[in-house]
Amino acid sequence: MKDLPPAVRPVLRRLARRIAFGLFLEIWPGWAIGAFLVAGTTALVCRMFFVQAAGFLPFLWIAPIMSTFPAIYLCFRRAYRPSEVVALADWLSGGQGTLLTLLEKRDPAWSNAAALENLSRVPLPRLKAWRKLAPVMAAAIFLSVALFMPQRMLTGPRSTVLANDVVADLKTAADALKKENLLTPDEQKKLDEEIERIRKDALERMDASSWEAADALREQVASQLNEKHDAMRWAQESLARYADTAQAGTPPSEAQSEELAKAIEKLAKTGMLADAPGDVQQLLGGQEAVTGGHVHLPTDPKKLRSLAAQLAKHLGDRSARFSELGKLAREGGRFDPSEFGDFSYEENTNPGREPGRGGIDHERGDADLTWGDESIPFDKFKSVALPPGSVRSPDDWAPVATLPGSPKESPELSASSTGMLFAGTSGQAAWRRTLSPRHYSAVKKYFDNSGTR
Amino acid sequence: MTPDPKPLLTPDAVEAARSQIARLVKELRRVILGKEEMIDEVTAALLARGHVLLEGLPGLGKTELVKALSRLLTLDSRRIQFTPDLLPTDITGSHILQEREGRREFTFHPGPVFTNLLLADEINRASPKTQSALLEAMQEHRVTTFGQTRALPDPFFVLATQNPIELEGTYPLPEAQLDRFMVKVEIVGVDRSVLEEILNTRVHGEAPALEPVMTGDDLRKLFAAVDSVHLPRAVANFIARLVAATHPKSGDAPDAVRTFVKYGSSPRGAIAIGAASRGLALLRGKPNVGFDEVRRVAAPALAHRIVLDYAAKLEGWEGRRVVAALLEGVPEVERGLPQTLEAGR
Repeated sequence: MKDLPPAVRPVLRRLARRIAFGLFLEIWPGWAIGAFLVAGTTALVCRMFFVQAAGFLPFLWIAPIMSTFPAIYLCFRRAYRPSEVVALADWLSGGQGTLLTLLEKRDPAWSNAAALENLSRVPLPRLKAWRKLAPVMAAAIFLSVALFMPQRMLTGPRSTVLANDVVADLKTAADALKKENLLTPDEQKKLDEEIERIRKDALERMDASSWEAADALREQVASQLNEKHDAMRWAQESLARYADTAQAGTPPSEAQSEELAKAIEKLAKTGMLADAPGDVQQLLGGQEAVTGGHVHLPTDPKKLRSLAAQLAKHLGDRSARFSELGKLAREGGRFDPSEFGDFSYEENTNPGREPGRGGIDHERGDADLTWGDESIPFDKFKSVALPPGSVRSPDDWAPVATLPGSPKESPELSASSTGMLFAGTSGQAAWRRTLSPRHYSAVKKYFDNSGTR
Repeated sequence: MTPDPKPLLTPDAVEAARSQIARLVKELRRVILGKEEMIDEVTAALLARGHVLLEGLPGLGKTELVKALSRLLTLDSRRIQFTPDLLPTDITGSHILQEREGRREFTFHPGPVFTNLLLADEINRASPKTQSALLEAMQEHRVTTFGQTRALPDPFFVLATQNPIELEGTYPLPEAQLDRFMVKVEIVGVDRSVLEEILNTRVHGEAPALEPVMTGDDLRKLFAAVDSVHLPRAVANFIARLVAATHPKSGDAPDAVRTFVKYGSSPRGAIAIGAASRGLALLRGKPNVGFDEVRRVAAPALAHRIVLDYAAKLEGWEGRRVVAALLEGVPEVERGLPQTLEAGR
């Protein structure tokens, strides 16, 4: 354009700049839309599947900026040649062809042609980029929305953490119980299997039922521990009464022997004698009898006394184990023995608190209320673990039935007619109840005056 | 861009040519009242040495225009009234057996075609055989009879007239002959004010007396000037795209062309537009052709070269309307403004 008359060069330069800008606005929106859509889709995918990328998502705003580089490159590639700019300028100024001729001929004789004067008055092309830029705005909104989407926590790793958390307390409790030898090997195995099953179920599907299953297992363990604890206490008490009788020089009654036998049998069944000394097991009929829970008390009084003495010592040790659970709780660990029952870890110094003994524990006024003919523990009441509960949805609720005689407001009806109307369903017998004469007059007076009040 | 070695016309040369042409046009406008556009088209075609087909109803001044031209240009002119019994030799001339110095020999008697300005009045009334006698003369500016080819005088123009009505007993011009006319000018009626002026200035309708405005040499100089009018590449590109778009199978063809055109224009159409545009540019006092000149001559140069199909006839489309659709559909500049810019003109 250097060969063109100086008068038209500024106009042509302005036109060339406007065309270049228009060309950029023609090319860039496509790239920007693509960049926004790709960035938005990436953001959505990361929001859904890649938690680790959440911190980098704001950098996606760079994508549309980066898209300007290929757009600028394409603008350079598709830039209007000077001859094309001159042709457009000539067309815009009326299509006289003078400018084109000057560009091709470079004849200064026509530099002052009248047609060139028109060129300076020709308005530059107007920008109408909104139609192109509107989709860019929409794409930018898409990216914004994608970035504002909440991060989805992945099911896999999160469920693993939660599943481990569900069974963490149970595992801690199981370890504590194993440490105190309060569980038999079979019980340990079953408990471990059950904990693992709950964990796997929670991995597959984490919901309220996972926690409920853990709670149910905890209750089951607690039930076992309570049963063991009760059996131990029962055996200790039976042994104590048996020893008191023996110490008094009187032979134990048949009821005492029977109670002691049942208490020891219960001990054996709960596994409390599994780690009893060999002498105790021998006196009770051997290891198989102890393991199977079919013990036989020795008939020889001497052996029986020996058994009572050794068994009392063993039970004292077991009682100490239960006390150790309380110490674990005091250490502030994760294991909470109170979840498994209210064990008495201290020596019983207040007999008034003993079940069945009753008494008043105000100062020293307690009295021995043991009558001796109570039902034998575990015979009458058996603890049964309830099935796991479930969360009821409000949608599950539905009216069972709608009574036909449900009360309706009908002021026009008198009390008597209303009563007769619903007599079949709302207490006909009550309506027809015979009133005593002194009441009858009062009721009649009340209803007779109801219209005037 | 490398400058075209052919020099551009100087402003003085252009001004001299423009003034001469202006005198011619002015005199023609004295003869034919209210037909400024038609006169410009005919003048542009003549400056481009093209043949003109005038189509219009009787009494609109077609013959008067030709007579005025021959008078103003001091050119030899002949008139042939085409009739169904006209023979080709009546146009081209014939050999007659003559006795000369005791010997009989054929002597060629030139026909009326041997002239500068031939008025072929009501050309569509002659038979195709007779019409075709003009083919060689119009294209090659020569006539061949009895195996002998004879050149026609230079310049040689054919200004033919035809009546669009009274089609009984006529022979529509074949496409090949139509193609040889540079432009087909349609002469329409005049408005009331022109009629009043005719009544006030001409008692018996006779044309005013005319004096020649240029000689044959002047005309040849004008022809040379017209040939020197510059056709910019962008404008030539526009002409080429315009003519290419007349073909229904062209990718740039507008819907009207695809629907109604059977055959598009021949390359002669593009040549005719370029030449007539040059003539019009010089008439306007310009050393170059612009888009505006092309748009102005496109219809007379292209309309008669486009063969329409029956659908066009049924829908009432004719050549000029198709060309108007072409001009609407084909942009002047091949690479227009970006879509984000809107011309403010």
